[in-house]
Amino acid sequence: MKRWAPSALSVRLALMFALVSMLLLGAIGFYLYHALHKEIAWRDDQALLGRVQRMQAILTDSRSIEALRERPQLYENMLGNRDNLLWVVDAAGQVLIEINPPGLPRPTLPATATAQLADDPNGAPLRLAWQNMERGEQRLTLIAGKVLSEREQMLAAYRLKLGAALGCGMVLAFALGWLVSQRGLRPVRELAQRTAAIDSQHLHLRLDEYHSTAELQALSQALNHMLARLEGGFGQLSRFCEDLAHEMRTPLSNLMGHTQQTLQRERTVAVYEDLLVSNQEEYERLARMIDSMLFLARTEQAALNVQPVDLHALGEQLCEYFEGMAEERGVVLRNEADGELLADADLLRRALANLLANALRYGAPGQPITLSTRREGERLAVSVHNLGPVIGVEHLPHLFERFYRCDPSRAQPGDSGGLGLAIVRSIMQAHGGEVRVRSDEGGTAFVLVFAA
Amino acid sequence: MRILLVEDEVKTADYLRKGLSESGYLVEVAHSGLDGQHLAQEHAFDLIILDVQLPGLDGWQLLQIIRRTQQTPVLFLTARDAVEDRVKGLELGADDYLVKPFSYAELLARVRTLLRRGPPREVEHFLLADLHLDLLRRQVTRQGQRLSLTNKEFALLHLLISREGEVLSRAQIASQVWQMNFDSDTNVVDVAIRRLRAKVDDPFSLKLIHTVRGMGYTLAVQP
Repeated sequence: MKRWAPSALSVRLALMFALVSMLLLGAIGFYLYHALHKEIAWRDDQALLGRVQRMQAILTDSRSIEALRERPQLYENMLGNRDNLLWVVDAAGQVLIEINPPGLPRPTLPATATAQLADDPNGAPLRLAWQNMERGEQRLTLIAGKVLSEREQMLAAYRLKLGAALGCGMVLAFALGWLVSQRGLRPVRELAQRTAAIDSQHLHLRLDEYHSTAELQALSQALNHMLARLEGGFGQLSRFCEDLAHEMRTPLSNLMGHTQQTLQRERTVAVYEDLLVSNQEEYERLARMIDSMLFLARTEQAALNVQPVDLHALGEQLCEYFEGMAEERGVVLRNEADGELLADADLLRRALANLLANALRYGAPGQPITLSTRREGERLAVSVHNLGPVIGVEHLPHLFERFYRCDPSRAQPGDSGGLGLAIVRSIMQAHGGEVRVRSDEGGTAFVLVFAA
Repeated sequence: MRILLVEDEVKTADYLRKGLSESGYLVEVAHSGLDGQHLAQEHAFDLIILDVQLPGLDGWQLLQIIRRTQQTPVLFLTARDAVEDRVKGLELGADDYLVKPFSYAELLARVRTLLRRGPPREVEHFLLADLHLDLLRRQVTRQGQRLSLTNKEFALLHLLISREGEVLSRAQIASQVWQMNFDSDTNVVDVAIRRLRAKVDDPFSLKLIHTVRGMGYTLAVQP
């Protein structure tokens, strides 16, 4: 079951504000109420004790109780109003003096030499102070009492006011919280509006950075980085489509032109055969290109079939494969690869085959090509090194781009259509590694670096 | 040998029918899945070549229908070479598949393999004209003269002679001799054939290794 919660963040925040203020105000009100209650009770108690003491003093001074009963105004004045009660009781339980406007029953209290305080044992809303005293042979009990109902009324009114204040505070806190969060969340709404305006046509747009709000700044920066990556990927994709269309035009125009030219008049069978063979070569080039493209498209999200690969054995297999070509060019293939690597064997073989084919294609005739491995701390580097013309510095950053050629006029019918190194790079990316290139007087080396 | 070809692409169907007929097969063509189903149920065929994308009844459905009643070998053709597609075809009971665009030589080789009934014979001696290859002793002689071949040259000649008369594409050769299952965009196979020819054909007047232009290579007395 879904827990109910308002969908608007501002309402949620306002509710939380209200809740927090209720807790806080409630706690303060509770404390104040109790402090007041205690203070009043203390004052009442002090007054009661004072009364008992004064009664004691009066009784000690007076000639007789009777005289006192004759002059009730003496203590009546002292007692003041209807809330105050007074009993003077002798040891036999006979009431000598009683001032009891509300007519409450006289409480029975334990004897005590010093003044005591207690609530009415009969349960009436009455606070009592009492003391026993000796007056000659007479043993008297002085009881002073105060009816609490007035105090209770006052406190009840106070409680009501507190409650009302609390309610008002909550409503106010909710309203203020809502206003504040509305205002505080305004940048979020702006961010949403701005983000909604960005589509594939407007990927160059960026979100304003909210420097004043740390959270929104982090969010807008993260979104901007995401946009930059998307724009990069999108641009690469559309450039790639453009390149692809362009690359397909060349073989297609060869096919169309050559075929039309041949069909213009009657030819000998040999000419037709030549045409068909030439066409076949172009078709194969197109098929290879499509294969490579599909390979590239898939490698980037393919699941690797990772297994331990014996690098020396793999090197031997590749050297055997390229042996014939190498010998024709007077090139010696040296396999100095060693060790074991966790990788997708088929992909690794393909990457190294592409590098070796390039080395054979562009390396100087008569010079060796070396396949070697080296540990770089945690990582393993597999490199293909050849001697030959130095690759211009301006080309190095672009070598692994699809369809990039150092010399556009040197597209050979047998070459990979400028996808060979792009394939190497995507194979390395799939492995979480990278490919590097170095080219100088000491030769050209392509290095596959695998994370351990 | 009768082959049923179910292919809606008229041009593809046309050239395949011509090509297979030239290779000596009797070919029936159906241009839709329903026609294919009808033909497959009415007549007995030795092999069915099935395109996956067909109007009406598609190749997968047709394959399932065929498999309910018969075990005729099925080779399917597809333009989608996602792994799932291939696996699906083979799981449904197809015997082999080819991804478009495929080389005609490759298709012919697959057809021959599927039609070769029974387990392949374990041949140890191959003889073609005056060429003799002894697999166990790893010896090759021509006119009684012993030829010295490297390991890979021997493997290449063995492949060619075991598929005598068949045209092998460069990709097939690279895959079978060097286990390179991808197009490495090099002329490795041409170089290897050239070097094999230098030893096997050049010293003799009767040439056995032939280039089939645009397709590949074949070993035969007559091209």
